[in-house]
Amino acid sequence: MTTKFQEEAEVLSQEEMAHQTYRARLFAPRIAKAARAGQFMMLTVREGLDPLLRRPFSFHRIQPDEGIIEILYRVIGRGTWWLSRHKPGDRLQLLGPLGNGFSIPGDVNGPAVLVAGGIGIAPLFQLLRELGKRAGGSPADQVHLFYGARTAGELLSGETFKGMGISLHISTDDGTRGRKGTVTSLCFEHLEQESIAPAMIYSCGPLAMQVGLARWALAREIPAQLSLESLMACGIGACLGCALPAPHPHDPAAEHYIHVCSDGPIFPAGAIQWSRIQSQQIHVPTFLYS
Amino acid sequence: MVKNPVTADTRPDLSVQLGPLRLENPVMTASGTFGYGKEYADFVDLRSLGAVVVKGISLQPRPGNPPPRIVETPSGMINAIGLENVGVQEFLSAKLPWLHELGATVIVNIFGNVLEEYAELAKRLDGAPGIAALEINISCPNVKHGGMVFGTDPVMSGKVVEAVRKATSLPIITKLTPNVTRIGDIARAAVDSGSDILSCINTVAAMAVDVFSRRPKLANRFGGLSGPAVKPIALRCAYEVIQTVPQCPVIGLGGITNAMDALEFLLIGAKAVQVGTANFLQPGVSIEIVKGIERFLQVEGLSSVQDYIGTLDVECTFPFAEESCSLLDLGENNA
Repeated sequence: MTTKFQEEAEVLSQEEMAHQTYRARLFAPRIAKAARAGQFMMLTVREGLDPLLRRPFSFHRIQPDEGIIEILYRVIGRGTWWLSRHKPGDRLQLLGPLGNGFSIPGDVNGPAVLVAGGIGIAPLFQLLRELGKRAGGSPADQVHLFYGARTAGELLSGETFKGMGISLHISTDDGTRGRKGTVTSLCFEHLEQESIAPAMIYSCGPLAMQVGLARWALAREIPAQLSLESLMACGIGACLGCALPAPHPHDPAAEHYIHVCSDGPIFPAGAIQWSRIQSQQIHVPTFLYS
Repeated sequence: MVKNPVTADTRPDLSVQLGPLRLENPVMTASGTFGYGKEYADFVDLRSLGAVVVKGISLQPRPGNPPPRIVETPSGMINAIGLENVGVQEFLSAKLPWLHELGATVIVNIFGNVLEEYAELAKRLDGAPGIAALEINISCPNVKHGGMVFGTDPVMSGKVVEAVRKATSLPIITKLTPNVTRIGDIARAAVDSGSDILSCINTVAAMAVDVFSRRPKLANRFGGLSGPAVKPIALRCAYEVIQTVPQCPVIGLGGITNAMDALEFLLIGAKAVQVGTANFLQPGVSIEIVKGIERFLQVEGLSSVQDYIGTLDVECTFPFAEESCSLLDLGENNA
């Protein structure tokens, strides 16, 4: 894996992009040059010992020449709340780039399909920038983004994706924008109706969404790269806290775990034992931190 | 801080002797927080540490507990990793050689479900190139005794140490658990059974729950608390042990995040310290602590860390007024 850096970043800007969703632009030239789409970093959200642990954030946008990285995050607890209080000029301690990134096949042999659930759009955005560049005129070159959330207020604006050369499809659970329903149902139905056979699926979103997507892709033998998450302490493969159940390499009956920070965060659909996923920590209702 | 002119330009001697084990400096990294060392190679020159204590090893590989395995708590975290490790065979073939080639001082933490496993592990590690000492984790349930934790019973603790002592000539460190009524009793049993050194403390039994989901935050329900929140407990435990078995070198650990914390343990008489959870906050913290101790000694005008270890003053209650110490001649009948 690539070299990991500790770097002090300067906050360039902090903007509220959607309901409780912030985008921070950070000047961190060393990490910006090394980072790849799909990787993440561990960030100190506040100076001192409270909150104690760093928080993991995926790279939302990487601009190596300008030395700038962006993160897109949702305020769901104390750590993210403190992060959202930082102003331009503040300093943050970064540790990264960490984990594996998305792997983009060299040859374009079919459409790429991206599925983003809620804040799951965060790591997919940088991937879109890279895939969109190669998208050409023919359907085989197309890059499709299926992007959904609970309600319109949680979505990034359509302007965000203008000029990227991608085909955008929106859904909301409550129907306040785009098609009413889950983003996975939108994706599955659209692909079937248009007879689109994706060469690769990339996805990020709530665990429930990922389980459904993984099973669908496995059943149809469509390669999929899932960006997963877990509660982390170290982020560098030492504490072993970020485990997810996985099939044992030799013994199907044996218990086995992979670690999101060092084996992932990008995993093929079959790498996780979805049947043994217990519900992770339920997020605190948003009213507590708004 | 202004350095003492006498010692400002000299490098204090940081070496410490823990019974049969000599370390270049008193700072080690704690088991379970530093992987097998290589994970931190980008941030720390492992050779600059007093020692690296690797993740606890068992005879067979262990998968660990189902997630969630960790939860943050005020000034700390609770872990229920479940002693996940690659097993002794893969440790010897895949993890140890890299450390040995690098030249780091390696201490191997070991644990078992039953007495025989401890002995077998010690036997397999005895003589393996690159191991400076073994650290025995007795905070495990004894499967043959209804799951009672070895380290909560002086007799069982003694038996574990005895079994390991018979199987190896390596220096033995026994890592004590704070989850007992009288830690001095466990310490004494371990020393009497042949432990060369003691490390104090392992994590504090703890729990966290989620009021919205109405469920425990750890899949295992219980876990071990570590981090700054436990330092006062760790300090007290280490002090009790040092007082109970003054002939046995003690390594202090629990909530150390900076050089001052480390110095507190050295002050009460610990000959070395381990840094654990702090590595997650700042991967290079262990080296910073070594440097901080060095700077402190220069400021205090001490040429060696040995001149500071164990110099806690419990006698004089009025440290600023020398005269008042003699004035307060508290006779036996004074309340």
